[in-house]
Amino acid sequence: MARPRAAPYVFVAPFVAIFLAFSVYPLVFTARLSLTNWRGVGDPMWVGWDNYAYLLTNDRFWSSLWNSAVLWVLIVPVQLVVGVIVAVLLNSAKLQLRGMYRVAFIVPFVMPLVAVAQIWVVLFDEGYGAVNSLLGSVGLPNVGWLTTGTWAKPTLALLFLWKTTGFIVIIMLSGLQSIDSVLYESASLDGASWSRQLRSITVPLIRRTIMFVVVLQTLAVFQMFAEPFVVTQGGPYSSTTTAGYFLYNHINRADLGTGAANSLLLVVLVMALSLMFVRMLRVEDGS
Amino acid sequence: MTRTPRTAQTAKPTGARRLTSGHFGRTLAIQAFLMLLLVAFLAPVVWAILSSLKPANDIIRAPLVFDPSSFSLDNYTAMFEDVPIVRGFGNTGVVLVFKGAITMFFAPLAAYGFAKYDFRGKNAIFGMVLITLMLPTIVLIIPLLLEMKTLGWVNTYQGLILVGAIDAFAIFWMRQVISSVPDELLDAARVDGCSEFGIYWRVIVPIIRPALAGLAVLTIMNIYNDFVWPVVIASSDQRATLQVVLSTLAQNITGNRIGADYATVTGELLAASSVALIPLLILFVLLQRHFINGILAGSVKG
Amino acid sequence: MRTKGPLSRYMRWLATISVLAILALGLVACGSDESTATDPAPTTSDSATTSDSATTSDSATTTSTAPTGNDASNGDLLQAPTEDSPEGQITIWDRSGDLYEVFDATIVRFNEKYPNIIVNHLAVDIDAKLQNTLITGTDVPDGVFLDDAKIGGFSDFLWDLSDVLAPYVDDIASQKVDVNTIDGGVFGVPFDLDPGLLYYNETALAEAGVDATLIETYDDLLDAARDYQATNPESGPIHLEQSPFLGQLQLEMFASQLGTSMADAAGELRLDSPEYEQILTFLDTVREEDLGTRAEYLSPTDIAELENGNQVFYPWAIWFSFAPQQLLTETTGDWRAMELPAWEAGGARSGAMGGSSFVLPREGENSELAWLFYEFLMFDEAGYSAVWGPNDVYPTGLNTSIPSYLPAADPTAPLFEPVEALGGQDLWAVATEAGAQIPGGTPLPSWWAGAVDYLGNNIQRMLDGDLNPSEVISRSTDEIQENLVDRQ
Repeated sequence: MARPRAAPYVFVAPFVAIFLAFSVYPLVFTARLSLTNWRGVGDPMWVGWDNYAYLLTNDRFWSSLWNSAVLWVLIVPVQLVVGVIVAVLLNSAKLQLRGMYRVAFIVPFVMPLVAVAQIWVVLFDEGYGAVNSLLGSVGLPNVGWLTTGTWAKPTLALLFLWKTTGFIVIIMLSGLQSIDSVLYESASLDGASWSRQLRSITVPLIRRTIMFVVVLQTLAVFQMFAEPFVVTQGGPYSSTTTAGYFLYNHINRADLGTGAANSLLLVVLVMALSLMFVRMLRVEDGS
Repeated sequence: MTRTPRTAQTAKPTGARRLTSGHFGRTLAIQAFLMLLLVAFLAPVVWAILSSLKPANDIIRAPLVFDPSSFSLDNYTAMFEDVPIVRGFGNTGVVLVFKGAITMFFAPLAAYGFAKYDFRGKNAIFGMVLITLMLPTIVLIIPLLLEMKTLGWVNTYQGLILVGAIDAFAIFWMRQVISSVPDELLDAARVDGCSEFGIYWRVIVPIIRPALAGLAVLTIMNIYNDFVWPVVIASSDQRATLQVVLSTLAQNITGNRIGADYATVTGELLAASSVALIPLLILFVLLQRHFINGILAGSVKG
Repeated sequence: MRTKGPLSRYMRWLATISVLAILALGLVACGSDESTATDPAPTTSDSATTSDSATTSDSATTTSTAPTGNDASNGDLLQAPTEDSPEGQITIWDRSGDLYEVFDATIVRFNEKYPNIIVNHLAVDIDAKLQNTLITGTDVPDGVFLDDAKIGGFSDFLWDLSDVLAPYVDDIASQKVDVNTIDGGVFGVPFDLDPGLLYYNETALAEAGVDATLIETYDDLLDAARDYQATNPESGPIHLEQSPFLGQLQLEMFASQLGTSMADAAGELRLDSPEYEQILTFLDTVREEDLGTRAEYLSPTDIAELENGNQVFYPWAIWFSFAPQQLLTETTGDWRAMELPAWEAGGARSGAMGGSSFVLPREGENSELAWLFYEFLMFDEAGYSAVWGPNDVYPTGLNTSIPSYLPAADPTAPLFEPVEALGGQDLWAVATEAGAQIPGGTPLPSWWAGAVDYLGNNIQRMLDGDLNPSEVISRSTDEIQENLVDRQ
């Protein structure tokens, strides 16, 4: 069927206009900046690839990527599993209190982050926090949630999960809309168990949504900045200095060139990761 | 919980058929699981709200002790006096309405273009969408601010609204959703003489309505929560949004800067955050029914 | 003028958007012909205009920043206004909270002296905004409240205040002048002096038979802690800071006592010195003998250990004083402040920990009027009395710092009243006498806060028992040199 040629251009034009104005221009600026040692004042001095060379040979740059990678492992799989299960449960028309749950899970997403920082300190304080009090009441030892390099990442991951899982549930719910409820009805008539339905109907049919969430959260985890900024300031021992936070450190010190180089390296990395996930999706589509 | 008649109809017979003891046990397990999750999700928020009612010193001194007899609205009174939160709400409202409208109108439209048309440069332009998603905001701030200065948009609504409008995430997601709408429906509408935009509006939009409701919620929340850019572009007296007001308030207690007004600020911050929750919760209660209404179920597939 | 221009532009812009939206909605009907479908074209052209102007702005921006840069190397000197009754409007940024309110209340007094200067006083998230504002030159304020540790990083954007400060400079605490002096220029109007003091729980110590007032050196402090622990075996008498940032700030307080700091005036690292070895060894001894309570400043753990008598010595800046006043409700009244112990008998009994100044950006419109505001605030009796003396925010006065202007910091002429939470102690006298002993300092390097990732963290590793003092020094020196000093 022949389709008008102009229409799609018209549809995407507003986005392209905004994109050119507020993304391409800063991007070009950033790319130029990454080759200079500009500190915000005076004329930028050209330093070629120095900033990149410095970062690529710097332990801390790599450990910021490592920290983000660990957080990714702690966050994304958990979020997928919890997100799918909760969305499926909330999608069921016969679930009691469904509306209340849907509202409740999104509340953390609305809680201003600056307040969350206060909450987290109170929950996870080593000596007198709520979580350790709970653990203590069942005879478990105190854990240095925010004070040891071992536990700070899981604590930060928990914060991120708490804050964003409601968001993921909404996306998953929309994915579930495309599944014909007849499929479930016939499956349960055939005696397929709930978990079997989940595995053989739900997950395959919302695979694209799942991959979308994976890509989205990969981007979010590697850019994660505000959470460590307000809660841990990247510590203890830089264990929560994420890729996004490390980048901020340069910019905060007015080392704008290094900051620009760092962010472009990060863009390349997340792009590669995203492409990898998208390819995985395509391969599965093809089979 | 009102449901659309259609859902109720399809649900009832199935539900009746399944009401055996095994199913009862499963329902109980599901409820227990969701309840547990609900408690975990809400406990911190409940802590914040209850704490906002305590005397400010006690929030820090005895964070886990709640004595209802000491509850008062003192933190709220102080907060409304010290913090320009009403102006913050007003500015956030303006930004929300316009930025939200722009995103909700143009993002699904662009997504439709990407999902259902082949055109020269499509991949390149969609690549732009992805790049926009991948760029960390922090690094764009200085170039953007220089640009705003040239445009004369510093401390204006334009600067707050247009930068980051037509969210790339929204396009990315809606493209995902729209591409699952069967092409046959579009072709049928085309045969009926619909314009290309008419197809979008009459065919696509009704089908993806639940996703649009979800997008509306997430868009609203993203705009509402955004503070990295607004803090820079808006100054506190004129165009400060709610989050700018909050982060200005919190600066004396975040990032190792505990000041002499540690307790006061903590009390006011928790009060302000509790107040900030209210409009979104109301909105969300109103919108959540639309996420799922079974319009698509059974009517599209085949 | 402020509202009308942008407002009308904004209204026009709004109108455009609405017209477009209505146009688009008009196209909804099915059955319309092809030409209508492509009609949203206005959208395209309109947006294209936006992007056009943005693209042209590219070159404009580049050229507009360049001259700014050239100015920067000139190191301009601010001159005081000469007219009798200067007039104009100044924009002043302060951090939100108590100090904002204190400063805000002084504006009335300022206007009694300068009736024609309008002060536009804003509470601003300075950390988030200042750097971006200065680099891009957008809406630059006339005066800004800034941490001393940040001044080095911004000096290129600030007025050199040497000339205007000349009449006062001999009467300002030398440490404060020194931290504001970069390459011979003075870039901030010194605000507060934050002397380090030894806070101690007198009641708890007296019960254990320990007399804190006899402590003269850090060795005495260790002995007192040992004595206290002998009667209170569960206790960790001395506070050990667990926040890397505040730990580093406290380390610099100890160093300031010895007249040194992380970097010398030329910005060269000087951590590798007997002074730092001595300080770190002291902290390491506290750890090794289990004489400390390790906690983050005023975290729930810290507060609980202060209240239950386990933690009785808190060597900290004067601003700890608000803790017994507001947070330590059970032990309020039990606390006292005294001079810090000396590192060697007869040595200085205090060092500076933190502090802020007022800076005047060179791109501010009325910087010279802002100077008059700060001159009034800091060097006029009506000004500094309004800041530190009893006011609406602090009915007994602002007792978390003292003035750095020496005539204002007279031990016998207190601005704030004795502190009930310190058992009615005259904190003013203690603090001003301690403040007078603080040796001169050096400007804080612009990378000071960045060093927390290295030095701050390495101190914590030492307190974990993973590094010894000399390892902290050598490691931090290498890391700071490579990642901060060499990257300047």
